[in-house]
Amino acid sequence: MVSTRSGASVSSRLTAVRSVAVYVGQRARHDGLFLFGLLVALTVLFLALFGELLAPYDPREATANVGMPPPPLKDWPQLAYRALTGQLDAAPHWFGTDFYGLDVFSRVISAPRTDVSIALGGALVSLLLGTGLGLVAGFYRNWATGLLVRASDVLQSFPVFITAMVLVALSGRHTGNIVLALCLVYTPIFLRLTRAEVMGQARHGYVEAARAAGVRPWIIAWRHVLPNSLVPALIQLSVTIGFAIILTAGLSFVGAGVQPPTPEWGLMISQGAGDLNYGWWWPSVFPGLAISITVLGFAALGHVLEEAFR
Amino acid sequence: MWRYVLLRLGVAVLQLAALAVVVFFLIRLLPADPVARLVGLNASPEAYAQSERALGLDRPLIQQFAAYLGLSAAAPGLLQGELGRSWVTGEPVAAELGRALPLTIEVVSLALLASLLIAIPVGLVSAAKPKGGVDRAAFVWGLFAGAQPDYWWGLLFILLFAFTLGLAPAPLGRVDPLLVPPDSITGLILMDSLLQGRFDVFLSALHYLALPVLTMVFTVSGAIVKMVRQNTARALQSEYVLYARACGLPERRVARYALRAALTPTLTLIGIFFSVLLSAAVTVERVFSLNGVGQYSVRSILDFDYPAIQGAVLAVAMVALLVYLLVDIVHALLDPRLRG
Repeated sequence: MVSTRSGASVSSRLTAVRSVAVYVGQRARHDGLFLFGLLVALTVLFLALFGELLAPYDPREATANVGMPPPPLKDWPQLAYRALTGQLDAAPHWFGTDFYGLDVFSRVISAPRTDVSIALGGALVSLLLGTGLGLVAGFYRNWATGLLVRASDVLQSFPVFITAMVLVALSGRHTGNIVLALCLVYTPIFLRLTRAEVMGQARHGYVEAARAAGVRPWIIAWRHVLPNSLVPALIQLSVTIGFAIILTAGLSFVGAGVQPPTPEWGLMISQGAGDLNYGWWWPSVFPGLAISITVLGFAALGHVLEEAFR
Repeated sequence: MWRYVLLRLGVAVLQLAALAVVVFFLIRLLPADPVARLVGLNASPEAYAQSERALGLDRPLIQQFAAYLGLSAAAPGLLQGELGRSWVTGEPVAAELGRALPLTIEVVSLALLASLLIAIPVGLVSAAKPKGGVDRAAFVWGLFAGAQPDYWWGLLFILLFAFTLGLAPAPLGRVDPLLVPPDSITGLILMDSLLQGRFDVFLSALHYLALPVLTMVFTVSGAIVKMVRQNTARALQSEYVLYARACGLPERRVARYALRAALTPTLTLIGIFFSVLLSAAVTVERVFSLNGVGQYSVRSILDFDYPAIQGAVLAVAMVALLVYLLVDIVHALLDPRLRG
């Protein structure tokens, strides 16, 4: 970042932060979609940090109750009251238990630590890499950046899911490798978006004016062109987080992601699919619902961002 | 026109060649040990070395690459159209893919066709009457189904339509196991059964394909509606529509001009969403236990079966590129500006 040089600019930056906060607050009050997206995003972030602490049961440790259905919905208020006032010997299995006796609720709320942090990590690193490379490729147009763009084209022509599977399965099924695979899949998208935007910006008068004033090219690129070219990438970020969650869970669904007994939504759906044969719907329905709502939340945020900047 | 087709064909072949090279080196650079996977962890060092020699993994990378291409005289390779033998089953990869690929193509094409049949009218109407009922419904649908986990919706559909309502068969393959399957001519079971007049098999196959196709349509149609709507709205705002209106042409005639301009970019969507669905096939085939190329690639990747991985990636990419190529050619036929 550009370093702050004086106290005045610190306070002006604080004002900027405050005005963004005020804007967000106002929008959230009037725009239901934005409120929904914001709530979902904050909830999964909160669960990624504290979900495992809040879980009533150890998400990796089996209980003695196997295949227990969730309590009927009408009993929930009463159960919640008795659980909170400490009248129950053991916490209720809100979402039931699976084939191994694992508490589904505890696993569903512990999973964001894996799913959301992998997806966020992959999307954010892709954003940084992609916009950085896209800025360079759009601003300096020579054979080297041309080669970069070609390489990213080839990368984009790979079948996404199969590429991610190959990368993760062959380099070891660890979270770090999944993040790397996501980066390889998603960076080209951000590169392409930013490059197109930078090339459009470079035609504007302010770039020419800065050049004429003798500003060094990389300063023009960094300080003037980049902030003006970020919007498409930022809109894409929200959508990409959603897709990354689906991909991360999908990898473990086919057996090429994180390993059991890690609490992870895709893994739970995959194991829960077998439980359908006993008529147990809850081990697979609840984690899927979690993915579905999370992804919808990020899609809503992306839509609101898109509208706001148009 | 022919020059354009040849040029695009040349580019596609180059892309495929680049892909083949990248995949070959990529999987060998990643730190996996396929030999240990094959011989097991308790194998003696001699057995390990023997297996390594048998797979050709003891040779330098560049020699392995030459063998893969078929430059060495020992065995035919990629240049002769051979994909090698699977390390796990010992069968030629090309033959295995020949059995797996038609099923995937069948499911993906049906799903894409159904999605387009639904999405194009909806997209057109919602662009023609913004803020109308259809437009609002399409917006909600696009937002909701724009990105959803197909593997979970597939399970829900099984739970609902197969286990609870009994409307669809249990997800166990592509045709009723009690029926004698038709001889394989094209490998596409719908086509084969029709060619041989086996309508019982045709109906049963349709029945078995219904849920996988529904799953794909569900997860992909929202995005298609959104894009068709965008293209149409753009066409309606264009200057020639304004001009046509200014000339006092009847609205029906204007709509016809706009329609043609809106549907041509929609054609490009076929290419994009065909490859999106090819990716989705990996998880959807898993849910419905269909032995297509998606399941084949999962199997080969988890087994570290390098020839099979290379073959599967190439096959999927080739199908996607072929569809892109066809779409580009049709596009150029419709839009003379593209022929260059």
